[in-house]
Amino acid sequence: MAESFRINPRTPPPTDMNFPTVIVRGLLRRPVRTGLTLVGISIGIAAVVALVGISRGFEQSWAKGMRARGTDIVVSNMGSALAPKPFSDTVRDRIAALPGVTATCAIFVDLTSIEDSSMMIVSAREWGGFSWENLKLVAGRLPAHADELSVVLGQSAAEVLRKGVGDTIQIEARELIVTGIVDGGALVENGSVILSLPLYQQITGNEGKINIIDVRATPGLTREAVKSLCTRINTLIPEARAMPAGEHVGNSEAYRFISAMSWGTSMLAVIVGVLGVMNTMLMTVFERKQEFSILLALGWRRTRIIHMVLGESALLGFLGGITGVLIGAAGVKIMERLPAIHGLLEPDLSPPLMILSVAIAVVVGVVSGLYPAWRSSRLTPSAAMQG
Amino acid sequence: MEHSPKPTQPSAGQRLVFEAKELRKEYDDGRVQALRGVDFRIDEGEFVTITGPSGCGKTTLLQMLGALDRPTSGSLSYRGKSVPDLTDPSTYRAREIGIIFQAFHLLPTFTALENVQLPMFETGRPAPERPTRAMELLTSVGLEQRLGHFPAKLSGGEKQRVAIARSLANDPTVLLADEPTGNLDSENAQHVLDLIIRLHRERHMTLVLVTHDLTIARMGTRTIRMKDGRIVSDQPTDAASD
Repeated sequence: MAESFRINPRTPPPTDMNFPTVIVRGLLRRPVRTGLTLVGISIGIAAVVALVGISRGFEQSWAKGMRARGTDIVVSNMGSALAPKPFSDTVRDRIAALPGVTATCAIFVDLTSIEDSSMMIVSAREWGGFSWENLKLVAGRLPAHADELSVVLGQSAAEVLRKGVGDTIQIEARELIVTGIVDGGALVENGSVILSLPLYQQITGNEGKINIIDVRATPGLTREAVKSLCTRINTLIPEARAMPAGEHVGNSEAYRFISAMSWGTSMLAVIVGVLGVMNTMLMTVFERKQEFSILLALGWRRTRIIHMVLGESALLGFLGGITGVLIGAAGVKIMERLPAIHGLLEPDLSPPLMILSVAIAVVVGVVSGLYPAWRSSRLTPSAAMQG
Repeated sequence: MEHSPKPTQPSAGQRLVFEAKELRKEYDDGRVQALRGVDFRIDEGEFVTITGPSGCGKTTLLQMLGALDRPTSGSLSYRGKSVPDLTDPSTYRAREIGIIFQAFHLLPTFTALENVQLPMFETGRPAPERPTRAMELLTSVGLEQRLGHFPAKLSGGEKQRVAIARSLANDPTVLLADEPTGNLDSENAQHVLDLIIRLHRERHMTLVLVTHDLTIARMGTRTIRMKDGRIVSDQPTDAASD
């Protein structure tokens, strides 16, 4: 047989043709249509990666911020708004007296527009509280006293606001001097404008109000003991809810809403992808009726034809998933650099989300191929004789 | 052949390949009667041609022989086993029957070498052996220099030779050919016919060839003439006596 290749050097060497080869060739039959279908799935999967990645990243970023501040328990009233609802700062004293609590820090966190930035985190912290401890000065100094009309900026916040030490920023009607730039060890911290709690309460007219209490538990407490302490706090403080630091954002109504919206929007995009694949595979089955009938006439089983159709749709899903993950990740990276939200996003682009997204795409492909596969199974080999 | 249909004629001789009794095929709720009670038998190694005008039922008959369709009534047996009752007609088509179509029916996204391998998927032949087997077959039909060509790059005669090689992929004992030269010019038609007849003789295959061309029909050892779904004559041709 090798002689024949020497006779015609253009002849490719024989290669094994296995079932996956048949599936790939089926998709290559209409490359433009296959490409357009891939775009459709990719957009759906890119939406999953971007929206879910951002919302998960938001949760993880807050949790990381809590860890950076050395907080074990967060006491807040996370309603449906992005920022927690305010409550009286006397709550802090009641919590501080509980056994198992070693330190507390009252905080007022707000999301507000500052100058050109439409949404900044403002973190007003109890003067002398432990939540100042994690801030490492990069430039300048911390406020000298609680009433000094000054702020420090996280590194990202300074970039977004384009401010440096000595500049001023306006919060409400007051101009405050930037005395320092800090590294807070987490994106949320670095994206914050940080100032003393009494000053912020005075500026915003929220005297006596806070909306978060960071709680440090006795070192060495087990996870169960921390949860038990949360239960005791919740019994004592009906106006707020205590949660272990890692769970606090994920359990908030606002976060759940954002998360549900992310998944809902993503799933809509995925459904569009499903319809695209189904349309493509149905057209494939209609167009290739005779081809399938020929294969049946050559002895192929119906189950093999079904597997071929499902294989093609699953491969479409897989390739669309890979492309979608790449597009989604690239899109999020671009979004991170947008001036309006720079420093506020730390999307979760971890391997589990990528794998989940590709798995969703493959499932989408297979589900989309079920009806076309069923249609293909109803073809008869006698149709091969026609035409 | 591992099928379990019930024998229709237990006493049938070893050489009997096909036997049809009162074979009928209706379409459209009986409004179209393609076969109206056909009786015949075909023995091993015969070269039977089926001829007749368009619409006489000759292709329908070929479909029944190849288990591509089921008869409405009557019986059809293959080596004593009922074809309509085959539990696994796919295996029957894959292992026992080779089919050559008028329009070649090569799959356009596969090379000649790959097209010939397609029927081998259902026979358990190991994947590494398939290209070698396909090369042997394509060489036997004179296409050793066209292995990597896609159908679009082949002439009509070459396409049909690839289709013939494909029909032999699993060493069938029966070759069914439906107007195999219908889409070819006279020169290519003659080459293809010579090839089919040579393969029939060399491989001792039973050959059933449908044609409307009486010249081709006379090449068989026996000619069945059909009209309006019935067999009007079934007799040895002149060629049989040569």
